[in-house]
Amino acid sequence: MSLMNVMRQIGSGFGSTLIIFFFTLLFSMPLGILVALGRMSKIKPLSVLIQGIISILRGTPLMLQLIVVFYGPYYLFGMKLSTGWRLYATLIGFSINYAAYFAEIFRAGIQSIPVGQTEAATVLGYTKVQTFVKIIFPQMVKRTIPPVTNEVITLVKDTSLAFVLAYQEMFTYAKQVSAAMSSLMPLFVAGLFYYLFNLVVTIAMDRIEKALSYYN
Amino acid sequence: MMKKLAALFLAGVMAASLAACGGSSAASTATSQAEKAEEAAQEAVEQTAEQTEAAVETATAEGREFVVGFDAEYPPYGYLDMATNDYTGFDLELAQELCNRRGWTLVKKPINWDNKDAEIDSGSIDCIWNGMTYTGREELYTWSRPYVNNSIVMCVMADSDIQSLADLAGKIVITQTDSSAQTALEGEELADLTASFAKLELNPSYNTCFQDMMTGAVDAIAVDIGVAQYQMKNNPDKFRILGEEVSKEQYAIAFKLGNEELRDQVQETYDEMLADGTVMEIAQHYAEDNLPEMLITEK
Repeated sequence: MSLMNVMRQIGSGFGSTLIIFFFTLLFSMPLGILVALGRMSKIKPLSVLIQGIISILRGTPLMLQLIVVFYGPYYLFGMKLSTGWRLYATLIGFSINYAAYFAEIFRAGIQSIPVGQTEAATVLGYTKVQTFVKIIFPQMVKRTIPPVTNEVITLVKDTSLAFVLAYQEMFTYAKQVSAAMSSLMPLFVAGLFYYLFNLVVTIAMDRIEKALSYYN
Repeated sequence: MMKKLAALFLAGVMAASLAACGGSSAASTATSQAEKAEEAAQEAVEQTAEQTEAAVETATAEGREFVVGFDAEYPPYGYLDMATNDYTGFDLELAQELCNRRGWTLVKKPINWDNKDAEIDSGSIDCIWNGMTYTGREELYTWSRPYVNNSIVMCVMADSDIQSLADLAGKIVITQTDSSAQTALEGEELADLTASFAKLELNPSYNTCFQDMMTGAVDAIAVDIGVAQYQMKNNPDKFRILGEEVSKEQYAIAFKLGNEELRDQVQETYDEMLADGTVMEIAQHYAEDNLPEMLITEK
């Protein structure tokens, strides 16, 4: 059983890991902005509701949230689950969980912009939406890149939690190969894959940060 | 059609994101890209089939999907075959033959063993066919007739000074979480034996249990004999099975409680396979793991 063979086997699960990674970022970031705005809303009930949701999503294990999303429809409504639901439940679970974290990061970013800028924009005749889209949002993006990178890196490793729904991602494959070979070596190979992937993520985020720092 | 498009879109995005990762491993990227695209397309087809199936309900048993749930870390009953990159094992080969005869499509669905009840109750799998212990769980599922005689044994390091169950007093024993070995050890009959251990530890995977024992963290593993023999095949001269067995039990196929219709269909075809010798023929593929001797041949 050559090392190449093991890498090929584990690599075949890499695509499934990428699907979680990619779609979670795609859904959770925009959702995070909406949640952040809701959290800062002047409408008290909305703000309190969102605060509560964030509190639950951050305060319970992601693994448990995945289980609730996947089995919930059956236990609550008696729906028969299809095979495809495994992937959708995984993506929903990851997206809402990460949206909660992103929301707080974005809120920090938005609140770090001096109020004077909003006041100046109002005086200049900017509407609220214009002020947010053209003035606040671009600065928020630049300031939050380091903490967002943190979350993105954590996400790469968190994808392995999808095993709890028997979604076949890379670490699930690694464990299966490990069992078939009666050896722990495949798990270390999987670790190497995660590390290399995160290296690429780090370099990419670094580039983005540099590209956006045109005023410094 | 929409789902097909969605799957293709998914494959497209995947390809793009893989390409974005750059030339770290261009060759393997290309292969896995192709594989993934293929898989996505296949999934789309499968989903279409599922919809059709749902439409006709199970009125026509012909051509239905037969979703077998199994623990893919449980050789020799269900595991990943490194040569073909597909799941195989004694139970899965039996399931494949059964599906061929009934004209069903076999879907091999690896599950997380801890969630097996939720999986079977919610209908995301049709049955568990994976060295599933019948003894002691009679009332929890609708069962096929038992087909394998299993024993729970104690596995120790080859050079260990443990020779009998009595020697386990004051030692650390490990077993798989929610396994039949755990049930047996925690049952009344073996209460004295279990009480003599320094500790009974649990781990989600038998494979990790064996790694634990190699490091010396635990002294013995309570394990199904077939699993122990598979480990001994892969690690020659490392382990030893105690002559004294812990308990005896039987394997059967588990269906959702009350799903007798499906159980009867499976049992009927299984009996045919047993009668014409096909089951024994498949068991011979696993002669090294002792399966021919463990098979229940009488009806």
